[in-house]
Amino acid sequence: MADGARARRARNASPATSSRHAAGSAFALPAAPVRGGRRGAGPIRRKGPDRRKALEIAVFVTPALVLFFLFVVWPILTAIQLSMYKWKGFGPLTNFVGIDNYTAVLSNPYFIEAVGHNFIVVIMSVVIQLPLGLGIALLLNRKMWGQGLLRTIIFVPYVLAEVIAGVVWAQLLLPKYGMVDALLKSVGLTPPEQGFLGDPSIAMGTVIAVLTWKYLGLAVILFLAGLQGVPDELYEAAQLDGASWWQVQRNITIPLLGPTLRTWAFLSMIGALQLFDMVWILTGGGPANATTTMATFLISQGTKASNFGIAGAASVILFVIALVMAVFYQVFILRRDVQPDNDRKNRKKVKR
Amino acid sequence: MTRMKRGTAAIALGATVALFAAACAGSGGPTDAGENADADTITWWHNSNTGEGKEYYDKVAADFEAETGVKVELQAMQHEDMLTKLQAALQSGNADEIPDVYMSRGGGELKNEVEAGLVRDLTDAAADEIGKISAYTEQYEVDGKVYALPYTMGVVGFWYNKDLFEQAGITDVTSNPTIEEWYGWVDKLKAAGIEPAAVGAGDKWPAAHYWYYNVIRECPNDTIEAAIESKDYSDPCFVTAGEHLVDIVNHQPFNAGFLATKAQEGPTSASGLLATGKVGMELAGHWEPGVAGGLTEDGKVPSFLSWFAYPTFDGQGGDPTTMMGGGDAWSVSTSAPDAAVDFAKYLLSDEVQVGFAELDMGLPTNPAAADSLSDAALAELLKVRNTSTSVQLYLDTRLGQSVGQPMNDEIALVFAGQKGPQDIVTAVQTAAQSE
Amino acid sequence: MSVAPTSDLSIAPHVRRRKSSSDSFRGGSPLIYGIALVVVAVTLGPVIYGVLGGFRTNAQLAATPAGLPSPWVLDNYLGVLANPAFWQYTWNSVAVAMITTAAVVVFGTMAAYPLARYEFKGREALYMVFVLGLLFPAAVAIVPLFILITQNFGLGNTWLGVALPQAAFALPTTVIILRPFLMAIPKELEEAALLDGASRIGFFWRILLPLSGPGMVTVGVLAFVGSWNAYLLPLLLLQGENKTLPLGVADFSSEHSSDTAGVFAFTTLAMIPALIFFLAMQKRIVNGLQGAVKG
Repeated sequence: MADGARARRARNASPATSSRHAAGSAFALPAAPVRGGRRGAGPIRRKGPDRRKALEIAVFVTPALVLFFLFVVWPILTAIQLSMYKWKGFGPLTNFVGIDNYTAVLSNPYFIEAVGHNFIVVIMSVVIQLPLGLGIALLLNRKMWGQGLLRTIIFVPYVLAEVIAGVVWAQLLLPKYGMVDALLKSVGLTPPEQGFLGDPSIAMGTVIAVLTWKYLGLAVILFLAGLQGVPDELYEAAQLDGASWWQVQRNITIPLLGPTLRTWAFLSMIGALQLFDMVWILTGGGPANATTTMATFLISQGTKASNFGIAGAASVILFVIALVMAVFYQVFILRRDVQPDNDRKNRKKVKR
Repeated sequence: MTRMKRGTAAIALGATVALFAAACAGSGGPTDAGENADADTITWWHNSNTGEGKEYYDKVAADFEAETGVKVELQAMQHEDMLTKLQAALQSGNADEIPDVYMSRGGGELKNEVEAGLVRDLTDAAADEIGKISAYTEQYEVDGKVYALPYTMGVVGFWYNKDLFEQAGITDVTSNPTIEEWYGWVDKLKAAGIEPAAVGAGDKWPAAHYWYYNVIRECPNDTIEAAIESKDYSDPCFVTAGEHLVDIVNHQPFNAGFLATKAQEGPTSASGLLATGKVGMELAGHWEPGVAGGLTEDGKVPSFLSWFAYPTFDGQGGDPTTMMGGGDAWSVSTSAPDAAVDFAKYLLSDEVQVGFAELDMGLPTNPAAADSLSDAALAELLKVRNTSTSVQLYLDTRLGQSVGQPMNDEIALVFAGQKGPQDIVTAVQTAAQSE
Repeated sequence: MSVAPTSDLSIAPHVRRRKSSSDSFRGGSPLIYGIALVVVAVTLGPVIYGVLGGFRTNAQLAATPAGLPSPWVLDNYLGVLANPAFWQYTWNSVAVAMITTAAVVVFGTMAAYPLARYEFKGREALYMVFVLGLLFPAAVAIVPLFILITQNFGLGNTWLGVALPQAAFALPTTVIILRPFLMAIPKELEEAALLDGASRIGFFWRILLPLSGPGMVTVGVLAFVGSWNAYLLPLLLLQGENKTLPLGVADFSSEHSSDTAGVFAFTTLAMIPALIFFLAMQKRIVNGLQGAVKG
């Protein structure tokens, strides 16, 4: 997809930028030795800078790493240790069971079902939120009256605490008496008899709708932030060439937004795999396990059933699934952003 | 306002969010009691976090300090918050974090705490108090020793709306109906366009109560105890209980959306539906008047609220006067100073229990407080409780969470029409044996 | 064409020219406003329901869940505002959120810089370490964390004890979001700066930091909101005087009855500081580049 986008960008941007295109390509060359130097291949800055560079890296990264290892990695490792024990929550870890907890989780049909739900959410989040969020971000990027207020409004659901969002939606979606049913009836539609959350066949759809409402603001502000990297001169050039607003968005803005979109999609994917809060509050995984996720599974195994070893194992499995997806994503999609040379060339192609 | 415990409904997310710990820092058990046990200060966690109940417990702590010179540092917490913090504190095994006196719900949970050496044996230290409340201490015993002092014990039955029943032309309400009578009422309510019963199946345990009661109706007490002991649930009475449950569900007495309905938090919960006159009845505990009171304009318990026992079945194997219920008790941690035991005893004294009853904070266990309840419905319920031959603890609490949770999950699936009677028994059996 | 001047110029003029973007691209058609209106209605509808709920009594909420306040009741809001605990909670929430945000932005940006703009062996591996932190369900690690903070660091019931772990858990997202932002800043700028004799640290301070404004503000806002709504860690660590706003919600529910109207009023008011923060920041998200270059 990204390849396609890039190709399109090169092709479509040409009316506005073709003259600069060539210059851009040629331009990439003189810069190369400088970059080479930084890699340590350059003849002048060599040993001293290398050591200095290492020191700089250490200085920059160490505070974050210390914080991260102390408060994230260590507790996680402790939790992983748990996954190999049978433990009810108190007393020392004595009952080592090896991989029993893992086989128990993987052979649990409810867990497998939960994994399926997670993947539905992963896919639906991107399918729904990407176009919607992008559309709203492009809209809000235009200069219009009340722009700042609109941006804030879009972000309100994200700021609203999950607990309260859950209480509000429970009220709105109440069968028979709730606002949503009232609205549907007023336009002549028949709301589902068991309510939107009470009917196993539509509960998942309802949850996804509420998730979209809650988290769309995140996509929008990320996209808005990314849009600021798109130079205005592009718009001007394109306008001079007579391109419509929509053509400019499609051919210039969206392709240039690529890295931001890919970053968001990555965060959204991981978020969907870890999905817990809103589901737990809205349905607790029900009705009839129609909306369980890996996280609700492991939470109910942990807190509610006191099978802390099982919960630990489920969390490690969740971690591994997320890791595989992350690596896959990294290798096939995000990698494009990590290769600055490619990206830079492309930026310049359009820019100049 | 009642604060009698049942329920894991939560408005607060954190309450139900997971807590996991490995036995960290190399220690799982409590640290040595001696060094942290400041003899002049004890910490006490309770869940009466609002209104008169909170004030009352503040006063109780102050009175104790005035009398003994021991300072009571108390923390009043919202119930689910308290459970969350308690779980973390107990898991940390850190004497500084574990409160000296805290609430226990008994059953499998308490057993685990006892096995981890976290709870004090009160059998001898509080022998007098235990003597007075012996009718209710059974659920707080492990190997014949008492580890917590129950201060409230309630029972579950049907709370119903007298007005709606009347409106549906039901004139024959008895306090001990048979299942046929009950079905008759359901049909009449439906015919009158009233949703017969609310059930918070979204929280699972309110739905599970139906099965527990069927078990109590169909299985003699000894059979239940033997099954728990041997982890063998092959007695056919357990399946029969499930068959009754399927019959009830098939009769469709429940509110719209019951599979997602919460138990008791807020107006959209099952208790809320009953309190606001939207359904005819709900199977619930002694907390019902308290929930309902919070949802009326004047804050009073609605006058239409009344009570009858869970129906009996023709030819049932269980004692018809056995009830299902549960209570709350005070536990003392092993890392606590001796003064904490005195304080727990003080909490069970006639004086404190009478005050507790006067504020309708629960159904007191100390007989001296039996006539002190202010609320008429609760006073009535206390009488019912005192006449029952025995009170069986909620099965999920009784069996402990690692069996109780899969059991409740499976029962909820029966409510959804996806599982059958045998599946419940299988789930219980499997979970019990893998414990 | 030399590298340095071109790069410099390429930014400056575009910034200046930004103002003169042609009019036809500035929103304003009725259709656009129509769409905006729909989006606003759907987005705000449920929130307004909560806000209005604060003007009703619990009995009203229970009797007609879909209704409007009738009569309007101010008690819930007034009660919250008159409660000194609310202001104490707010102050604690602000403090914890500020510390968290500061730690996230400072440490996160510092970590993202070499990951984005240095080329060294193990760079991707280091990046993956941070990504890994995002992949593990955090709730599972909460009790070990609780023990670590209370026992080993003695930071129980302190702002710092909550803020530092929160910042640590926000680091992966921060690094993931910031890295592409930092990468996107044209290499020519760096090359020019280095040719002009600036050190890489100088480049970081004087050019990169100002230019990555939108990204930094974005991660700052996310960290702030995350801290603002955080529940579990504050619940375990904070007591009494030090409690934050989300913990205050519990004051409205006892074990079995919950004051839903009070909760609506409380949370409506509790949301306001976070929204003000966002309102103040959103201009920077969107104008970060412009503002930074100018000043």
